[in-house]
Amino acid sequence: MSYIEFLSEFLPRLASGAGMTVMVMICATLLAVFISLLFGLMRLSSNFAIQGTATVYIEFFRGTSLLVQLYWIYYVLPLMGLTLTPFVSGVLALGLNFGAYGAEIVRGGIQSVPRGQYEAALALNMSPAKRMRRIIIPQTFPLILPPAANLTVELLKATALVALITVVDLMFVAKQINATTWLSAQVFGTALIVYYVMARFALIPFLRWLEVLAARMVGKA
Amino acid sequence: MEWRWEFTWEILPRMLWATGNTLLAAGVGYLIAVVVGLVLMLGQRTPYQIVNIVVREIVEFVRSTPLLVQLFFVFFVAPQFGIKLSAWTAGMLTIGLHFGTYLSEVYRGALEGVPKSQWEACRALNFTTLYTYRRIVLPQAFPIALPGMGNYLVGIFKDTPLLATIGVAELMHTANALGAETYRYLEPYTMVGFIFLIISLPTAMGLRRLEAAVDRAQGKRRN
Amino acid sequence: MKFPFKSKIISAIGAITLMSFATTASADELTDRINAGEPIRLGFATAIPWAYPGDNGEPLGFVNALTLVVLEEMGITNYTTSVNEWAGLIPGLQANRYDIITGGMYILKSRCENINFSDPIGLFGDAMLVPAGNPQGIHNYQDVIKTGATLVTGAGFNTVEAAKKEGVPDGQMMLVAGEVEILAAMKAGRADAAVQTFFGAKEHVDKSDGKFEVTDPADMPEWTQNWVGIGMRHSDTDFLAAFNEAMAKVIGGEKWMEAVAPYGYTEFQLPGDDASTEYACANR
Repeated sequence: MSYIEFLSEFLPRLASGAGMTVMVMICATLLAVFISLLFGLMRLSSNFAIQGTATVYIEFFRGTSLLVQLYWIYYVLPLMGLTLTPFVSGVLALGLNFGAYGAEIVRGGIQSVPRGQYEAALALNMSPAKRMRRIIIPQTFPLILPPAANLTVELLKATALVALITVVDLMFVAKQINATTWLSAQVFGTALIVYYVMARFALIPFLRWLEVLAARMVGKA
Repeated sequence: MEWRWEFTWEILPRMLWATGNTLLAAGVGYLIAVVVGLVLMLGQRTPYQIVNIVVREIVEFVRSTPLLVQLFFVFFVAPQFGIKLSAWTAGMLTIGLHFGTYLSEVYRGALEGVPKSQWEACRALNFTTLYTYRRIVLPQAFPIALPGMGNYLVGIFKDTPLLATIGVAELMHTANALGAETYRYLEPYTMVGFIFLIISLPTAMGLRRLEAAVDRAQGKRRN
Repeated sequence: MKFPFKSKIISAIGAITLMSFATTASADELTDRINAGEPIRLGFATAIPWAYPGDNGEPLGFVNALTLVVLEEMGITNYTTSVNEWAGLIPGLQANRYDIITGGMYILKSRCENINFSDPIGLFGDAMLVPAGNPQGIHNYQDVIKTGATLVTGAGFNTVEAAKKEGVPDGQMMLVAGEVEILAAMKAGRADAAVQTFFGAKEHVDKSDGKFEVTDPADMPEWTQNWVGIGMRHSDTDFLAAFNEAMAKVIGGEKWMEAVAPYGYTEFQLPGDDASTEYACANR
């Protein structure tokens, strides 16, 4: 079978798998962003309990492997009475794991905003919440986005793991086609190319665009 | 489902033995990555533009595709071309190549961190390129590369569970097998998590110390 | 179809029985859910020709085919599928990710402790997959021990337990995720022999262009012959009873044989009249 024939026969299935990969990626990214902000801010709290909770969370999820977390959520949580669908399990594991890494980026970004900005906001009589929202966080965007972009590419790659808990994503479809046809080079090669194209020609340009946007927003472009 | 301690003790020896394999896999994979990274970095600094571009694209490709898919690719495809690799060899080579691309970036950043004037000074002294690298540039670049290299050591360690999917008998593989044999998943999977935590927490802490020490040392040099 | 009228009556009776279950509080969860019109969820792995997914996840393989015949007999035509790794099948059932295991699972004591099995759907044996010509002369577990060969099989397969009982050392065993990985390991020369079901091994011989052959199942220890059943949760007892009742009517019948014929299942695989799940659970 020529590669063209292979593509015409299997590309539709691979494409639908890629669609699921994108879905997992988007949902997991949204969850990770939320967790990053939440725990990144908690990490900076002066309240010992809040800061401690965030530290434990971050160290725990960064210290154990993503695949271990995924299997734990998929196989062990049901034993405790909580059965989540494969999709939700996958999104949850990815979001919780990458959120922990993201929280450290958020913390670093906020800490690098100059002291004077806090003082100026204080002088203008802003409440702490408003100060964070209007003054500090917008200034962190240009600092946070480059490392966050790297993390997002890592997240896209990590979505392949959800195939191991039966989510029908690109990797899962590739495994299935391989199981029946044994066209391993074609099928896994194509999967690699699709992941590459998604990262290099869609995700990375989008993230660069966000970086430019953020820089413009704070008047640094 | 309740936690069974007697079962925990029963499987602990097998889990610890597998932990040894996990550490071995991480160590060997890392050594390969350190060397591959060097080759890939130098491959982007040759006098031949075309070589530089090709190596650059290879690095980009490997870096932006999932390790899991790469493992399956090597595992299933290599034999079709008559390359017979054991699961261990296939796993080590793939993980080494994958993280080698990351390390090549670390090296590149470190080399660029050495001031241009150092090169110019060496040229003025008529040092050969090799000598300049060996005696002047690398000793200065190494401390800059150290934190990044440390991070990817932990990174490789945390990605070793993926090797279970192609049959390398590391920690995750053993937990899967124990689960399949005993139909108990609570203890094996939870233990894997704790073992990872016990190893990676002190390592990460040590790396942070190292980073701080390097920062201090560099600060001194700058004065 | 010879007696359409009869089968209609049977399904009508089945429906009435099911409805009467629905009104009583004693019906199990699965029966209730099916009565409420929800699809039954089939869980299996990729193990050709036993059970495997088609292009769109449709249930193929003889275990799926004959299960669909039984379900139809019960009046159930609404189903969905879930494709898993073999070792994840029992935990997935316990986690309520699907309702029955149609993967073609041997009825074994250790498994009976964790799930229920339907009455046997057939009797099957294992065999060794070896390079053509069988250079090391491997026909069973004892040959593996003697030659020091590396034996590959799937995580969670019955063969892991069997090899252990026969005394194969851990160091000679290589465990992979499933049938596909077994053939990959053999093709790559990572293992000297594979042990799997005779059917699975035959399928792999067909796919290998004469590179491999399958040994005679009769060379394997007699006790490794096993009955296969459909796996169900311990709690779904009403469904189990209804399933067995329906299966008794169709097993070995025209519809059954027609459904399984494409996959190589013949009357020789029928479980026999004296086969019982209780016996298998106690002795295998």
